Amino acid sequence: MELAIQVAVTTLQIAAAMAIVLFHVAYLTYVERKVLGFMQDRLGPMEVGFHGILQPIADGIKLFFKEDIIPSGANKIIFSLAPILTLVPALIGFAVVPFGDEGYSFFGVKISPYITDINIGILYILAISSIGAYGILLGGWASNSKYSLLGGMRSAAQMISYELALGLSIVGVLLIAGSLSMVKITESQSGGFWHWSIFKFPAPQFIAFGIYVISAIAETNRLPFDLPEAESELVAGFMTEYSGMRFAFYFMAEYANMILVSAIAVTLFLGGWYAPFPFLEFTWPSPWLWHFFWFAGKIYFILFFFIWIRGTLPRLRYDQLMKFGWKIMLPLALANILITATVLYLMQG
Amino acid sequence: MKKKMKIRKIINNLFFLEILRGLALTLKHLFVGKVTIQYPKEKRKLPVGYRGLLSLLRYDNGVEKCVGCALCEAVCPSRCITVKSTEIEGEPLKRYAKEFYIDITRCVFCGWCVDACPVNALAMTPEYEYAVYNKRELIFDKQKLLSMGDKAFPEREKPIEAQHLNVAAFNTTRKWLPPHGEEGR
Repeated sequence: MELAIQVAVTTLQIAAAMAIVLFHVAYLTYVERKVLGFMQDRLGPMEVGFHGILQPIADGIKLFFKEDIIPSGANKIIFSLAPILTLVPALIGFAVVPFGDEGYSFFGVKISPYITDINIGILYILAISSIGAYGILLGGWASNSKYSLLGGMRSAAQMISYELALGLSIVGVLLIAGSLSMVKITESQSGGFWHWSIFKFPAPQFIAFGIYVISAIAETNRLPFDLPEAESELVAGFMTEYSGMRFAFYFMAEYANMILVSAIAVTLFLGGWYAPFPFLEFTWPSPWLWHFFWFAGKIYFILFFFIWIRGTLPRLRYDQLMKFGWKIMLPLALANILITATVLYLMQG
Repeated sequence: MKKKMKIRKIINNLFFLEILRGLALTLKHLFVGKVTIQYPKEKRKLPVGYRGLLSLLRYDNGVEKCVGCALCEAVCPSRCITVKSTEIEGEPLKRYAKEFYIDITRCVFCGWCVDACPVNALAMTPEYEYAVYNKRELIFDKQKLLSMGDKAFPEREKPIEAQHLNVAAFNTTRKWLPPHGEEGR
């Protein structure tokens, strides 16, 4: 009986988390179009609903009813599997993202604002998110198109190079927090923004944060690192042959990945659900809501930054991307680990 | 000097100064007024002398201005104007266009016909929305051109006889007066 209730609660939690994430995925596309439009002195979508507020719904309906085209030379199984292989890892990463700290108990059933808190949370996310690259690579290969293949190859090379820097930039935070659990990492940053690991004495991780954000942009294939897509060179890269709902899966995966990556950045570097000042930790009407508010606010800021970067920078050349990844990001990340480890060792005796 | 430049370059690269400058610019443009005109809902203000669709004009007594000289037909670079002129019965000195066609599908809106017209009978309206389902509707005949002129230029000129005394005198000596109130001759 107890197990059944626990399963039901967890299922509800998963449903709620998925609903929140998918809602944000839908409206992130709208916000992106709007912000990019404003940055280019345009208005963005204006037609569907008030100032185009229903645009994501219209887009979703359109994509849902589009014809499902599979190119004649394509490998049908892999071609139809690849978008799912990209979307699913992007979504299940949210299983360990904590939206707040320990929750309420209702009639003996504990409800927490995270689906689960496994003690290797961040490792789990890194492992899961690298599966997403397979989806892109296989999708590019299975399309039987030159553009798709090139896009897939580029994506594989780019993801491998930047995953290293991404993984290594996190290590400093893990050294400080002394845990791999997302909840414990956040809890180690409580009490004002000077305790966030980006500023935390004695080893502030702002360089690691910079490396993380840059690698995260590269990991999610967004401008200025959108070489796998590269409209002006590769039509649409690995997505060239995709249409309808399969295209929508890739599209959703990109935005879900953006949100996931921002959520990790917030959890690891920006103090998760904690307010920037201790006196802002309100408890009325519910500490839950405020935790969610601060967490979401920080995520929104990073997402806005992603869009902002997209509106500012042109795409890198392929060799520049590789050079930057291997010759600058990787040594910097390694140096950061070295310094952090040394400082922590000396300070803690 | 060279060393200084190098140091500046290193600082630039280290703190992404140029990227930060770019970010500041895009952030500023977030709040700048937008240039988009929501076209079907709001329309832009056309400049004076906008060259839209062509039209034929009348004098204020309703007589059409065109004297059927076909100079517009001669000057038209895309040859979209066709004029068939006849003389007015009983008035061998006076002619008018019995038929007048402008093929708008071929018109390049250069305005030469308006310049060429000796009696200012042609004018360009500020009308630019003329999408139709049937392409043949875009071959405007005289009736259509006149009605467009009436719509776009409600203020009409006086007949030439009323403007120039010598013309009026010429006409009266030949016992000819403009037929009043005659529409679409």
